[in-house]
Amino acid sequence: MDLLPTPEQEEIVTTVRSLLERDFNLNTLAERDGADSVVDRSLWAKCAELGWFGLGMDESLGGVGYTLAEEALLFTEIGAHATPGPFLATVLGARLAALSGAHDIAGAILSGESIVALAEPHTPGAASASPTVSGTFRVTDHGSADLILVMVGTSSALINASDMVAEPMASIDLLVPIAVGTVSDVSPIAGFEENPGLALRANILVAAELAGIATATAEQSTQYAKDREQFGTPIGAFQAVKHRCADMAVRAEAANSLVRYGSLAVLEGLTDANFHAHAARSLAATYAVTNSQINVQNHGGIGFTWEHTAHRYVTRSRVRSQTLGTVQSHLQSLLDQPTPS
Amino acid sequence: MNLELSAEEQEFREEARSWLRDNLPTEERPPEGQEMREFDLAWQRTLFDGGWAGINWPVEYGGRGLTDIQQMIWYEEFAKADPPFTLNNSCTFVGNLHGGPTIIVNGDETQKSHYLPRILKGEDVWCQGFSEPGAGSDLASLNTKAVIDGDELVVTGQKTWTSYAHVADVQELLVRTDPDAPKHKGITWVICDMRTPGIEIREIQTMSHVTDFCEVFYDEVRIPLTNVVGGLNNGWRTAMSTLSFERGTAFMADQVELAATVENLIEEARVRTGPDGRRPAIADDEIARRLATVRSEVAALRAMTITGISRNARTGVPGPEGSIVRLFHGELHQRVYQLALEIIGSDSLRLTPVDGDGVWTGPYLQSFAYTIGGGTTDIQRNIVGERVLGLPRA
Ligand SMILES: Cc1cc2nc3c(=O)[nH]c(=O)nc-3n(C[C@H](O)[C@H](O)[C@H](O)COP(=O)(O)OP(=O)(O)OC[C@H]3O[C@@H](n4cnc5c(N)ncnc54)[C@H](O)[C@@H]3O)c2cc1C
Repeated sequence: MDLLPTPEQEEIVTTVRSLLERDFNLNTLAERDGADSVVDRSLWAKCAELGWFGLGMDESLGGVGYTLAEEALLFTEIGAHATPGPFLATVLGARLAALSGAHDIAGAILSGESIVALAEPHTPGAASASPTVSGTFRVTDHGSADLILVMVGTSSALINASDMVAEPMASIDLLVPIAVGTVSDVSPIAGFEENPGLALRANILVAAELAGIATATAEQSTQYAKDREQFGTPIGAFQAVKHRCADMAVRAEAANSLVRYGSLAVLEGLTDANFHAHAARSLAATYAVTNSQINVQNHGGIGFTWEHTAHRYVTRSRVRSQTLGTVQSHLQSLLDQPTPS
Repeated sequence: MNLELSAEEQEFREEARSWLRDNLPTEERPPEGQEMREFDLAWQRTLFDGGWAGINWPVEYGGRGLTDIQQMIWYEEFAKADPPFTLNNSCTFVGNLHGGPTIIVNGDETQKSHYLPRILKGEDVWCQGFSEPGAGSDLASLNTKAVIDGDELVVTGQKTWTSYAHVADVQELLVRTDPDAPKHKGITWVICDMRTPGIEIREIQTMSHVTDFCEVFYDEVRIPLTNVVGGLNNGWRTAMSTLSFERGTAFMADQVELAATVENLIEEARVRTGPDGRRPAIADDEIARRLATVRSEVAALRAMTITGISRNARTGVPGPEGSIVRLFHGELHQRVYQLALEIIGSDSLRLTPVDGDGVWTGPYLQSFAYTIGGGTTDIQRNIVGERVLGLPRA
């Protein structure tokens, strides 16, 4: 039993981090603020080449052959860098296609050629994914998508983007394009009526991204508390600021530990995997939102500017907290689980 | 990164489970006095004879030389066995969880071979004489003085909040041996025999009705210099090692037990009538939400404990990160019992003991200690801020 990354996993994290820092710089990406797509196709192909989209998929399915644990580490970095883009729909869509035998589609997603958007019910009960896809959906990253991954509870489907009529809405996060789309009675090109495995993995990956936000905001505040001086001393010497930073670090440690535990519980097929996935998903969302809000406060005026990245974490944590369920819905599901073994 | 137990660990778990099935006491723990001491020591002896004392202590001093993971497995099995008392609620706590570990790291050979087996066999009760009336959070300002006289230290002064002093044989005592040195430099960590002439102990009643801490007065108490651990005037370093155990690993059993407490509370909420007077408490949205939240938080606590163990396994000794878990745990422990009192409704007015089956109000009153003892939450936040995150001191 061990919850710290192995040297090999550390190496994956380092590689991911350096690409995200170099090529997904938020100040550069700000050019795309409010656009209906944030995907740069050549950059997307580069991520594909690095194997990010099939990181946790078996080689027999066309993946890289690592596991959900490494995939969760990738998503933690994506969260930590507030990296926009349809990573979740891509990873899940490739898996769905591969598992249902649609190898061409899986291959196109894995190579970065097909861009996948994510659709979930606009309001609870407003939509279905099986046997046909129908209803009103909230779609993220619709802009340049070729395919749409539709997730409704534990059923999931892939459809062509052209099968949806989408109406963009003003998104609280200018780097996460959101639209409301309708689909009527479309037969999926790949799909599962009952695929809890995919929903379970989705919970872990969203939780991982949120844990990354909780971590990055804790680190951003701590760094600023060391650098910024007032009253002739770094503001981190003031206990009010120091204690806020300490609490943020505690939340980050809690979220990361639980997400790692959850990813392993799912991976190892433990009977309490669902328990830990819902626990991780709700806790990481709460802590990401809390940390990102306090992070703005710790920065004072600069934290309130568009130029500073603090607001990116605020809005990203809000969007991801409502991706595939809410804090409330996951807490309810958690309470419905039996006592873990 | 993995959750797998090795074959050896798995076997250990099964061994623990079956041993507990046959050997777990059924009687409740006497809450106070000599009876309590005898109960706690008898249980310690039973643990020793069964091979369950000092699980992660070195073999040469009577331990089993196993890993922290195995120690955690033991706590988990203990909590699952539905014991009539909580594991850490024992006067053997200090010896097992920070006095002993401090000697393992800092003691000399004579000290190790004398004291360590006695702790494990249930022959000595230890207590901790760190805090004083004028030195709590600012522990380094302590001024119980010790002067060297021949091959002895002569101690005069006062300690307070000393848990279990009234039933203790031995004390980890911090004294000021050099009043002229800067305050962190003139302190010595010494083993004090509680039966030495010149010691007077007064019990203090607590808000949870259990008398488990005391004031201790020292009037020219003579302690052999050979009892100094970690070197004369080097006591601050030794004390930091004690506190790293106290803040790092000592509360693992409590952390494990808290998960079981939350499960019991969820069960209570299913069977008790809720605030609307009709439906079960768990049908109330706010109660359900708070229950699920603490359920997720104890799951996080367990994962954090394992992260801590993984970190210690790489570095060898607990680091300041222990304060992260301690802080999270202390406040979570309180939230759980605060929620419990809301769920049990009018039973929240009925006083119960702090320990036993289905008790809530006693543990609620006791829960206030969790953010004070071993360093208050404010101090833990300072430690996380300064020693983990590297923020400047005020
Ligand atoms: C149940 C229990 C058992 C205990 N057992 C033992 C024992 O066996 N042996 C032993 O030696 N001690 C023991 N203690 C004592 C414990 O370690 C001290 O109570 C604790 O360190 C706080 O010290 P204090 O009581 O003097 O409070 P103070 O230090 O006076 O603190 C009062 C308040 O001021 C705050 N405060 C103080 N300094 C700062 C600061 N720098 N920044 C921000 N806030 C600050 C504190 O957080 C607290 O809220 C025990 C305490 C309890 C409750």
